Amino acid sequence: MITFKNVKKEYPPKTHALAGVSFCIHAGEFVSITGQSGSGKSTVAKMIFAEERPTSGQILIGDWDISHIGRGDIPALRRQIGVIFQDFKLLPKKTAYENVAFALEVAGESGKRIREVVPHVLKIVGLAEKSGRYPKQLSGGEQQRVSIARALVHRPKIIVADEPTGNLDAITAREIVELFTRINDFGTTVVLVTHDRDIVNGLHKRVITLREGKVVSDAEKGKYLLA
Amino acid sequence: MMRNFWLSFVTVTVFVLTLVMVNSVIILNVLANASVKSVEGRVQVTVYFTSDASTDVVKNTQSYLLGLSQVKEISYLTADEALTIFKEAHRSDPVILAALDEVDGNPFGQALKIRAYNASDFPFILEALEAPEYKPFIKEKNYDNYESALRVLSNFSERIRLGFLTLAVFFGFIAMLIVFNTIRVAIYVHREEIGIMKLVGANDWFIRGPFLLESIFFAFLATGIMAGIVALTLSFANPALVAFFEGVDVNLITYYSTNALSMFGAQFGILAFLGLGTTAFAMRKYLRV
Repeated sequence: MITFKNVKKEYPPKTHALAGVSFCIHAGEFVSITGQSGSGKSTVAKMIFAEERPTSGQILIGDWDISHIGRGDIPALRRQIGVIFQDFKLLPKKTAYENVAFALEVAGESGKRIREVVPHVLKIVGLAEKSGRYPKQLSGGEQQRVSIARALVHRPKIIVADEPTGNLDAITAREIVELFTRINDFGTTVVLVTHDRDIVNGLHKRVITLREGKVVSDAEKGKYLLA
Repeated sequence: MMRNFWLSFVTVTVFVLTLVMVNSVIILNVLANASVKSVEGRVQVTVYFTSDASTDVVKNTQSYLLGLSQVKEISYLTADEALTIFKEAHRSDPVILAALDEVDGNPFGQALKIRAYNASDFPFILEALEAPEYKPFIKEKNYDNYESALRVLSNFSERIRLGFLTLAVFFGFIAMLIVFNTIRVAIYVHREEIGIMKLVGANDWFIRGPFLLESIFFAFLATGIMAGIVALTLSFANPALVAFFEGVDVNLITYYSTNALSMFGAQFGILAFLGLGTTAFAMRKYLRV
């Protein structure tokens, strides 16, 4: 599903964000990518949805080599990958419903389909009752749920979550991770980038650990490795 | 659409100022052409024949001249009419008038008053009268020369036209700078929204389209305002202009209503072209999609 082959990323003059990373994530897997700050885990996430491009190496999404993806092809890629961030990235002047609908509007979906899909997705994330609220009227956990609903609205095959619990308290963070687990149960591949040890250890899923831009561990039902 | 009201307001205002200059050039052109045509219509040559020239000679000369394609019309004058016209033409020259008084009777013969299609044709017509069969009977050729007046008029209108065109280019340039800045600020203000659009898979046109549409809207609005200003100004000024240019066809309302679609269409086209070009350049520089 997601294949990294000896991927390197250098920033001039001499910063090596990734120094030859290789792994393969299969369809339907739930994989945590962990490591300390500066280990390169966010760079991996950004490369999956083509926010960054590798200096060398190859990245495949299915059979699609996105290592040198053209600008015009990026929207199509991003409609197949749901992305979730630590800071939610919601539009403050749009309600929860409108934020989710926005992802379908930019893809040119019809109003009828938007009216069908958005309430359904908001129900999955448990926000059906709060669809008319603006982001500032929602808690951090609720905002992150809106963000997840927006990521799910295209029915993506892959969900990439970059530190999605970083701004949340422990209980809310656990609820969000449970939501990811449920999404994964429906068959969606989930890539969770986090440095939260409790979350990683509580998942009992595959863990890829990065250190200084290299994979130092790749374990099924892995644990968070201490430095 | 209106991403920033005041910047949009300034952009449309400068667009309108550019069009004010362009329309001033158009109006000036219409007025100057009408004035030149009016002055050109007054240019004529009076050919005075000697007193011994027979009516046949004068009529032959008239026929000959009418055969020239440059000649528009010829009026025949009797000796008395010729004397009256000559005195009128030289009323400010006491020496000539005194000399006429010294002469016993009417020294003039018959005369022909010639009008040409173009003022520039007169040298050719005068040259034609130098032919040996006519020259001995011609006493004087009086050329009411408006050439210097025409030259002054066209120089003046050319300078004014150039001045307004320079101002139009200047305002056009300022408008481009303002559009550039408007788009730059709009991109900065909406960078988060644009980032989210990209994140959820918006294509290039979904992100760039509103900026381009905005610049077309500015051009459309400015052209509409300008059309309103022209209509309002002419409804007040046209009667005064018609009265001022008495006898000359300077009906600007008719001119504008006949050519409104093509003129304002072209003005909209130019503004839209300037706006789109500048917007595209600003997006290329500041909007990384």
